[in-house]
Amino acid sequence: MVRRRKKHLLFATYDDFEKAREVVGELKVLDLKEMVIDNIELYSPIEHPEVEEILGDIDKPIQRFTFFGAITGAICAFLLVAAAAQSMFTVQPQGGKPVIPLPPDIVITYEGTILFGVLSTLIGFFIYAGLPKSLRKYYNEKVSEDQIGIEVQMQPQHKEKVREVLKKCGAIEIREVEL
Amino acid sequence: MSNYSMKDIEWAKINKDVLKSLESPRKSFWVVLGVCLVLVLIGVAAEAYQYQEGLGVALMNRPHFWQLYISNFVFWIGMSHSGTLLSAILLLTKADWRKPIYRFAEAMTLFSILTAAIFPVIHLGRVWDMYWVLPYPNQRTIWPNFRSPLLWDAAAITTYATSSALFLYIGMIPDLAICRDNAKGWRKKLYSALSMGWMGRAREWIAFRKTYVLMACFLVPLAVSVHSIVASDFAMSIMPDWHITSFPPYFVAGALYSGCAAIITLFVLLRHVFRFEEYMTTEIMDKTAKLTFAIAMVWNYLNLSEYASIWYSNDMFEKEVLIEKFTGPYAPIVWGMLLCATVAPFAMAFKKVRHNMWAMFWLSLVLQLGMWLERFQIVSPPLASNHEPWTWAVVWPGLVQLSITLASFGWFTMLFLIFCKIFPSVSMYEVKEMVFHRRHASSRAELQDLDKVKEEMIKTEEGLHHGA
Repeated sequence: MVRRRKKHLLFATYDDFEKAREVVGELKVLDLKEMVIDNIELYSPIEHPEVEEILGDIDKPIQRFTFFGAITGAICAFLLVAAAAQSMFTVQPQGGKPVIPLPPDIVITYEGTILFGVLSTLIGFFIYAGLPKSLRKYYNEKVSEDQIGIEVQMQPQHKEKVREVLKKCGAIEIREVEL
Repeated sequence: MSNYSMKDIEWAKINKDVLKSLESPRKSFWVVLGVCLVLVLIGVAAEAYQYQEGLGVALMNRPHFWQLYISNFVFWIGMSHSGTLLSAILLLTKADWRKPIYRFAEAMTLFSILTAAIFPVIHLGRVWDMYWVLPYPNQRTIWPNFRSPLLWDAAAITTYATSSALFLYIGMIPDLAICRDNAKGWRKKLYSALSMGWMGRAREWIAFRKTYVLMACFLVPLAVSVHSIVASDFAMSIMPDWHITSFPPYFVAGALYSGCAAIITLFVLLRHVFRFEEYMTTEIMDKTAKLTFAIAMVWNYLNLSEYASIWYSNDMFEKEVLIEKFTGPYAPIVWGMLLCATVAPFAMAFKKVRHNMWAMFWLSLVLQLGMWLERFQIVSPPLASNHEPWTWAVVWPGLVQLSITLASFGWFTMLFLIFCKIFPSVSMYEVKEMVFHRRHASSRAELQDLDKVKEEMIKTEEGLHHGA
């Protein structure tokens, strides 16, 4: 039987983004020295452009979903109109007109491209944002109002060291959870 | 006007102010909602009567097969344009003044489309055959004819309605999370389900921003295509005054124009009803009015170029319709349109008008009236004097058509009012972002000013030193 090691999680809130930036910096220094941190997550009421700068690159290749979705949409829409034209061809005389007329088919292909592109982008969003998700027990509602949250995962023995850093940088509240 | 206005609003206050707009409404809200409901019921009764008796009761007969229903369809599709299109364009160009106003504009788009989509169904007369436009293999193996612009309409409107609804929803997720954190009872359940566990994590924000921009990139060409296709309904025919190459851009400009006017109307109303003075500022109204003015001028140019091309082309049928429009029974409609949509927007050239909320409110209604008349004068007059003189007849819309038209306004307003009471009509997180960035820009500017003062002091000191 594999026994999972228990992890501890501290969730601290700050009233300023600069303080949050400072605490992440301090935690990174602590981690470099003693390897105590498993994961850091930042919670914020707005999107901060500097987040990637602080936490490191967070790659979200949603555009790939968009690209392949749009191409699939174009192909499906074109096939739909082309197939419809073939079906009509069997029962209606075309009078010298092309069986698959390109100009009108482009309109439907265009709309199909956009529709599938949008829908696949949405799928990409849900996958990379990790949604839908149930609310975490330690989630602090002030984070959606005006505070910045820092979630730190670590082994239980490092808990106090991390708590000290969080406190030192001016945490308003620290919540503790055992995972 | 300061570039850094709105920089001092507290984030908690933004939540409080916007969430307050979701609380129990005033009496006037119920009164307006009641009036809208009555209008909708009148429309439903008119449609039921038309359903029973046939399209004849709507006075739709040769040569007037297209009349108010199609005018309304074009009007509402046009109205839907500004919300999503402007929101997407302003997002891509990083114009931060869109932030307090884009939410209700996008909602307006969605409800306008839902209103517009009703009209082709009513116009069909045989409502029960509506499903014929859907592409499915039927028992006679005849599939819908995708060469017809009417089917392009079905495809384009479905795509636009779906994409606009998703764009509105995605943009609302962070705000739905705020609502969830502050709500109780059924609202809590609703917002929890819709916000899908959004907690504002960095990975959520990064994915969100990327998705939002990608969707905006799709929505701009989509919105242009939708109204171009609606224009093709007319331009692809051989009717005089409809078979015009410039119709698609003319329709798109007209759509943006009427949509902008509608944004101004709703801007003033929401600002007044929900006391959003701090968010919907004069600065934003000024920019919206300037944008509307610019679009009005583009529309005017295209309108005049259409008249000029008809006149100088010397096509006898086209010219006949044009002369008939300006001098015949439809002349009051055409001149009324020119007065409302061509002359009236010049008032927005004056700062005093742009900064006066109620002046802008009434002006926006005049502009919308002008654009509604424009839709009517596109549809009806050419049918009254077409290629076949023996069919010439002027028929004005009857009571049934007018009732259904009024009902459409009631339906739109009803949906919009319900939306504003359930969902935040101002984007809280984006206003917070705006405040955050403006505050930082202001601090940077102050620091730069201090640096300048410091440099000047050093220079003066050095000068004094040299002098001594």
